[in-house]
Amino acid sequence: MADYKSVVIKAGSGGFGGPLTIVPDAHKNKVVCITGGVMSPVAQRIAEMTGCELVDGFKTRVPDDEIAVVVIDCGGTLRCGIYPQKRIFTVNLNSTGPSGPLADHIKADIYVSGVKPDNVSFAEGVATPPPQLAAAAPAQSAGDSGSAFKKGYDTSKKITEQSSGSLMAKIGQFMGGIVSVFYQAGRDSVNTVIRTILPFMAFVSMLIGVILGTGIGDVIAAILSPLAGNVVGLVILACICSFPFLSPFLGPGAVIAQVIGTLIGVQIGQGNIPPHLALPALFAINAQCACDFVPVGLGLAEAESETVEVGVPSVLYSRFLTGPVSVILAYFASLGLYES
Amino acid sequence: MDTMVQFAQAFIGMFNKGGEILAGWVSGIIPTLVVLLVAMNALVKMVGNERIEKFAGVCAGNPISRYIVLPVIGVFFFCNPMGLSLGKFLPEFYKPSYYAASTGSCHTLNGLFPHINPGELFVYLGIANGISTLGLNTTDLALRYLLIGIVINFLRGWVTDFTTAYVQKQQGIELSKTLKTN
Repeated sequence: MADYKSVVIKAGSGGFGGPLTIVPDAHKNKVVCITGGVMSPVAQRIAEMTGCELVDGFKTRVPDDEIAVVVIDCGGTLRCGIYPQKRIFTVNLNSTGPSGPLADHIKADIYVSGVKPDNVSFAEGVATPPPQLAAAAPAQSAGDSGSAFKKGYDTSKKITEQSSGSLMAKIGQFMGGIVSVFYQAGRDSVNTVIRTILPFMAFVSMLIGVILGTGIGDVIAAILSPLAGNVVGLVILACICSFPFLSPFLGPGAVIAQVIGTLIGVQIGQGNIPPHLALPALFAINAQCACDFVPVGLGLAEAESETVEVGVPSVLYSRFLTGPVSVILAYFASLGLYES
Repeated sequence: MDTMVQFAQAFIGMFNKGGEILAGWVSGIIPTLVVLLVAMNALVKMVGNERIEKFAGVCAGNPISRYIVLPVIGVFFFCNPMGLSLGKFLPEFYKPSYYAASTGSCHTLNGLFPHINPGELFVYLGIANGISTLGLNTTDLALRYLLIGIVINFLRGWVTDFTTAYVQKQQGIELSKTLKTN
């Protein structure tokens, strides 16, 4: 097959990076599969669609400049970084993001992860093959790869490298898949804590330290207690926060809500505000929530421009209407909380 | 000299106090939070986006599933802000309402499931810290926050249906109430 086609590979569910456009030519025409044991269906599909040669990376070495794309199933230590470092297109079957010692090289323009066979499609602008050919080609190549890789037990390989999809290989891959999901979840969680939660904790503890260490606390208590210390004050607070001309300015990053929340928390801790009012207070300080974000949020929902024009004032009005009501509802829901 | 020493002590005292608080949070909150985040992130990955998107299409039909079920399930699995993207399975008219409900959900669920909106966790945590200082259990607060939140977020979505109709009339724009199939 001298006729090479370009394909686009997108990240799968939970995956990172991409989409990659693979353009093979007469020289750069090998799909290298370096996955544990079985030839992955993704690699087979890419090879079928592009017309490239499928190579088992465990068996032979392919010169780097002949590799069109490499398919790996790395859980996030080494392999996922090696090929991006060499600027070779890399497809990871696991949904691993940038990680491992070579994480710096794992970029969206060279690396895509979490890939399933469905994520591979022909590149736009490339002449799609005639229908009968398109139908015949995958079936034929599937047959080819089937005969090439299902030759029964091959004594030259380790048991985990048997390509016939044996039970052992399946169990191994399943376990590997589960472990890699948890490992990636762990990485995501630690990143979240380091990037977003710890910085905020640092900032807020500094703030509380200053408040408790100086006399400012008493001043804040004098202002906040009448507002946050009873339900009428909280309703007023909600009205202020959700006032349509003010609410979009109070929203960004919920920073103001978070700081006021912390201040109220300090007052609750000192006994100036009864603890059961924590629940209505949560709604009062956040009555403006997301008022700054309406056009972006509607954009995420693929709303049309008319919907955004109507939606922005509509959400601001409804926040103003529901803000005080939500505080009152939360107040009734808080009855009996922390009373003992 | 004594005044200067006193001033210096008060100055460093503020930051000692802040450091104590930070140490308390890091040892008291972070470990559980990290482990919880790992479990939740793994669950989200295992369920996968496609299933939730399919589910969102089913929820579009009536206000109950649109403003109660979808904001809870969708935001739980898609988190903030991608949970808002599920609005694309609704007709144009209902998108602002879903936005109003699901953004509320990003906060009210955050007490028990901090993986949803870790960047804005301190809205809840700031107040909950006061409860911890008193030696009370914050789970009670988080659970009530979640439950009354479901009611309030439904209200937020449902009321927005009316404000959208009002603004629509005011601006002379008519938004489609049926889903476009393309």
